[in-house]
Amino acid sequence: MAIPNFIYKGNRVLLKELTKTDFKLRYQGSVLGYLWALLRPLMMFAILYVVFGKLLRFGGDIPHFPVYLLAGTTLWAFFTECTNQGIQAIVTRGDLIRKVCFPKYIVVVSATLTAVINLLINMVVVTIFALLDGIEPSWTWLLAPLVLFEFYCLTLGISFLLGAINVKYRDITAIWDVLTQALFYAVPIIYPITMITATSEIAAKVILLNPIAQVIQDFRYLVITPETITTWSYVGEGTPILKFIPIIITIILLIWGFWYFRKKSKRFAEEI
Amino acid sequence: MSSDIAVSVKNLHKSFKLPTEKAWGLKQAIFNRLKGIKGYKEQKVLNGISFDIYKNEFVGIVGRNGSGKSTLLKTLAKIYFPEKGSVEINGTLVPFIELGVGFNPDLTGRENVYMNGALLGFSNKEMDAMYDEIVDFAELREFMDQKLKNYSSGMQVRLAFSIAIRAKGDILLLDEVLAVGDAAFQQKCANYFTSIKGQQTVILVTHDMNNVIKYCTRAILIEDGKIKLDGNPERIANAYKNLWDK
Repeated sequence: MAIPNFIYKGNRVLLKELTKTDFKLRYQGSVLGYLWALLRPLMMFAILYVVFGKLLRFGGDIPHFPVYLLAGTTLWAFFTECTNQGIQAIVTRGDLIRKVCFPKYIVVVSATLTAVINLLINMVVVTIFALLDGIEPSWTWLLAPLVLFEFYCLTLGISFLLGAINVKYRDITAIWDVLTQALFYAVPIIYPITMITATSEIAAKVILLNPIAQVIQDFRYLVITPETITTWSYVGEGTPILKFIPIIITIILLIWGFWYFRKKSKRFAEEI
Repeated sequence: MSSDIAVSVKNLHKSFKLPTEKAWGLKQAIFNRLKGIKGYKEQKVLNGISFDIYKNEFVGIVGRNGSGKSTLLKTLAKIYFPEKGSVEINGTLVPFIELGVGFNPDLTGRENVYMNGALLGFSNKEMDAMYDEIVDFAELREFMDQKLKNYSSGMQVRLAFSIAIRAKGDILLLDEVLAVGDAAFQQKCANYFTSIKGQQTVILVTHDMNNVIKYCTRAILIEDGKIKLDGNPERIANAYKNLWDK
């Protein structure tokens, strides 16, 4: 069974060793080393801020727009890094899987954990920027980890599902590449959701049913400003079940992904 | 399973699906499904293999290329799952299908030992207990904090080999790895295998009949996924040579 397996000590050791190695080797040979884990999203943010915050003035009257934008880009960077690493994990570790027997999910979890470490480092940066920008710490900050956990469950579910398919059909890598590009614009990261609500309420509601949008908006709501439009506040008047759609999608993806991965994993050694 | 049996294999079957189409991807898969083409052919590799290996037996598995030896070994190591039949293992099994699996050139010798150990299912504490023996056997103590990429290839295999034979498992699986390194180290390996003959359960896949006669207490000859002969190593070694001397 999967759960007792995870508690089994040998598997935890392997998970730890793989994650440690991954993280250690990632920035090896670069002068700035681990700093790149911080610099990359910060530079990405700087570009987006200049283009969309200053030149195109997307920020409008949103308070603390730079931090608002930074939170969005940080979470998005986590999503793409986590899913890309997770989907590739089994294929890149093919040499191990063909030669030793160990629970395959460890490889996927370890690949995503590197992204989680990066996210946590970047959350420190977001917090510092938030404080510098004059945002008062509030008790709602304590709820932010819950939202991040939901986000991790979503990325893990996607990684398991697509990672398992990717073993046989490498097309998944290319498809996911394009799909994430599309998703980037389908989620209110660089533009505030108010830009959409102004033109079409239906479109805004559909956008907010996406778990990624729900997580980003909830995070902004909890950490930056309660004026943020969230799935909870905007969707599902009359039909409250709609408010739960993003969470239901996350849970289904996680369970389905893990189930499918387990089913396929016994043949990975033959198919890679 | 009686307690003096280490490995029990019953009626083991395994076949692989070999793709017959050149282009292998989503597009082809959809086309094939639409046209009702299977897109692969079934290749039977193991065809009903049964045997019991008793504790402390040193078993050589021999056979020509493609006879199913390595598939059998990988099935014993649980890398492949059995399609039909069963594999029962009594004790911990340490597989070495290849030396130095998971070795990373950018990690130090020490880190690689622990990584390799973790892959085999040993905890850090268990590895701590084995570490000195591994390093002493490999004769690489002063190199352990250097990166693996700075090792010579002989040193790398010595380290990998030492992990293989010093890992404290009940059953050792080896695929064609008996002696590595220079002449002196090879002699050391040979002495080691002579010393454990009859003391530890070992399953060895090899083509070298001299090794079979020297180390094994029993040998199994496999042909076309079936056991052709099972028994005395010398008899099996002769039978193996006679496979193409007819």
